[in-house]
Amino acid sequence: MVTFWWCVLGFLTCGYFALAGYDYGVGMLLPGFEAGERRRRQTLGALGPFFLANEVWLVAAVGLLFGAFPHLEGKVFAGAYVLVVTLLLGLVTFTASMQLRSRRPDARRGAWTAGIVGGALVTALSWGLFLGNLVAGLPLSPDGSPSGDVLALFSPYAVLWGLGFVALFCLQGAAFLAVRAPAELTGRAARLARAFSAPVFAFLVVATGWGFFAVHGVTALGAGVVVLAFAAFAVAYLGLAARRYRVALVGSMALSACPALLVGTLRFPIVLASSEYALTLEQAATAPETFAVLAWFGPPAVLVLLVVQWLTWRAHRRPVDQHSLLHF
Amino acid sequence: MNALPIARLQFATTTSFHFLFVLLTLGLVTLVAVMQTRWTVGGKPELLRMTRFWGRLYVINYALGIVTGIVMEFQFGLTWTGLSAFAGDVFGAPLAIETLVAFFLESTFLGLWIFGFGRMNKWLHLTLIWLVTLTAYASALFIMLANSFLQNPVGSHVENGTLHLDDFGALFANPALVASLPHVVGAAIVTGGFFVVGVSAWHFLKRTTEIEFFRRSMRVGVVAALVGSIFVVNQGFAQFGELKMYQPDKLGMGAVGAPLGAMIGLGFLMFLCAILGTVLLIRNWVTRARLLHYLMVAAIPLPFVAAILGWLVRELGRQPWLVWGKLRTADAIADVPAGQILFSFIAFSLLFAALAVADWVLMARVAKRGPDPVEAPAELPVLSGV
Repeated sequence: MVTFWWCVLGFLTCGYFALAGYDYGVGMLLPGFEAGERRRRQTLGALGPFFLANEVWLVAAVGLLFGAFPHLEGKVFAGAYVLVVTLLLGLVTFTASMQLRSRRPDARRGAWTAGIVGGALVTALSWGLFLGNLVAGLPLSPDGSPSGDVLALFSPYAVLWGLGFVALFCLQGAAFLAVRAPAELTGRAARLARAFSAPVFAFLVVATGWGFFAVHGVTALGAGVVVLAFAAFAVAYLGLAARRYRVALVGSMALSACPALLVGTLRFPIVLASSEYALTLEQAATAPETFAVLAWFGPPAVLVLLVVQWLTWRAHRRPVDQHSLLHF
Repeated sequence: MNALPIARLQFATTTSFHFLFVLLTLGLVTLVAVMQTRWTVGGKPELLRMTRFWGRLYVINYALGIVTGIVMEFQFGLTWTGLSAFAGDVFGAPLAIETLVAFFLESTFLGLWIFGFGRMNKWLHLTLIWLVTLTAYASALFIMLANSFLQNPVGSHVENGTLHLDDFGALFANPALVASLPHVVGAAIVTGGFFVVGVSAWHFLKRTTEIEFFRRSMRVGVVAALVGSIFVVNQGFAQFGELKMYQPDKLGMGAVGAPLGAMIGLGFLMFLCAILGTVLLIRNWVTRARLLHYLMVAAIPLPFVAAILGWLVRELGRQPWLVWGKLRTADAIADVPAGQILFSFIAFSLLFAALAVADWVLMARVAKRGPDPVEAPAELPVLSGV
């Protein structure tokens, strides 16, 4: 039962990274991709119909984390306090700027554009640092409380992950634009995606090699996820080479979901590890009575989530054109 | 440096920002849904333009409701880890349900509504705005349910130092919830009503040519203000009886007296304004009373002030307990160094203040521009639906 809810949580988290990753990627690429305001609107418009439906996966995931694994939630957020705060600052800036940027036809938009780019960059860096710390082992006191050491959160290995996530989300964003941007910009998006595949590959190789020596007690499942990540990268790379941009997008989305999947499986059933502290899944979970309550709401919500995603993708599968509604 | 007052201040500040935005969200979406319903069942074309204009303001306001809400969600795990350790098995459920069912669905339906404007069957599109409204109310229900549990922890017992859930249904029948939920919902409707009336009054002061548009808007706003304020006052007083059952000494506390008095005063003032406005609906006097229009514009912030005061009464009156009688606030704070909490407090406050001001300036400008002309030149590409 507990494992089932761990899988639901994993599904929501992986779904968040697979979908929202290209939101941040498009955000970071926005100034470099196209300078004219009209083209910028089209670039953001490519994202438009998906934006709200993507971001809420995080809200759903964190809600479930609190409801189903309250004893993990407190430890993991307080333990990485500064990183979670910077993540929230980036996320708030990005989400608000994205929604407010284009609300007035005749307004200046420079500050909101800066908010989108800066917010997306901080979000990507913070997620990478946060997940890198979870893979390496969060710096906690022996009783599981935060160690309070800010610098420990910025270990070289975690910084590598932070930079890797920037490249990863940029690759994903460019692959998304290759599918959804106006037809005349497809080539530019594909070139960008190819340019970012080299640093992403470097990140995968270095993080895996370094992790092999630095991370202990890796489960077979965790090793499987690493293999999956390389496979997903190969799909994205080959998709780009063959100009099959939807295939490339799916590959990059799967790749972005892998780090979260890795964190969930790396030391299973230990779900939070530090050099002197470990929390198992059973300890992290809420009581059976609470799971029974959640069972009424969780699965139906996930089902609706999937249906809505499918409908949105169906309705907006073509690139942006003259008739597209550009809300953002 | 003591971390406790900073962490409390951080929570109070971020929650206040969040509350300001969700209050108007809840009220305004109801009015937009009513407008769209009247148009869909065969009303005047004015009603569709009203749906667009007020819907646009609603969407701008909603953006900050989302982002401040995200911070709220993380904050329990950031600074109040003692709460999840002690009460997570009970308190986590309503919060998880709120995010999974209510908030998640609300955002999703809103996205479909925005992108469905003018390109979807009108009944389906109407259904979407009502789904947005319903899920917004469901959000309010589950958040108030969680808050009421902190005020009065029913349906659970303490075992081995942590709370265990006995009966989830008891959380819905909590006396701390029964009167306060309609009170808050009433406050939201009043807020939406005062906002619509105030913006309409501004346009009358500026001698708008859209007389029919703002006359109709003002009527909807006045009726909402009346209905909402009846609820607010009535359910506000109903809470006094129920408070005796679970927090008998709350209103005797020193910190609570002043905000409570100010809130009650504001509540009656708004009730009187709403009655006056309703009387003036006869022969549309309300659209010609220029002197009153100045007051209507000035009154837009009143419901927000009253709501923050009411929230202060409820939460200050709970101290020193986080979970009433079971867990002290001082025992729930995370072991994070005070310097880091100070950093996050300053960063969140500055960011929220900047975003709130930018958002309100944006709303004011969009409100001043007024509705799109009837024969709007078609912009290519289609730049904005709502």
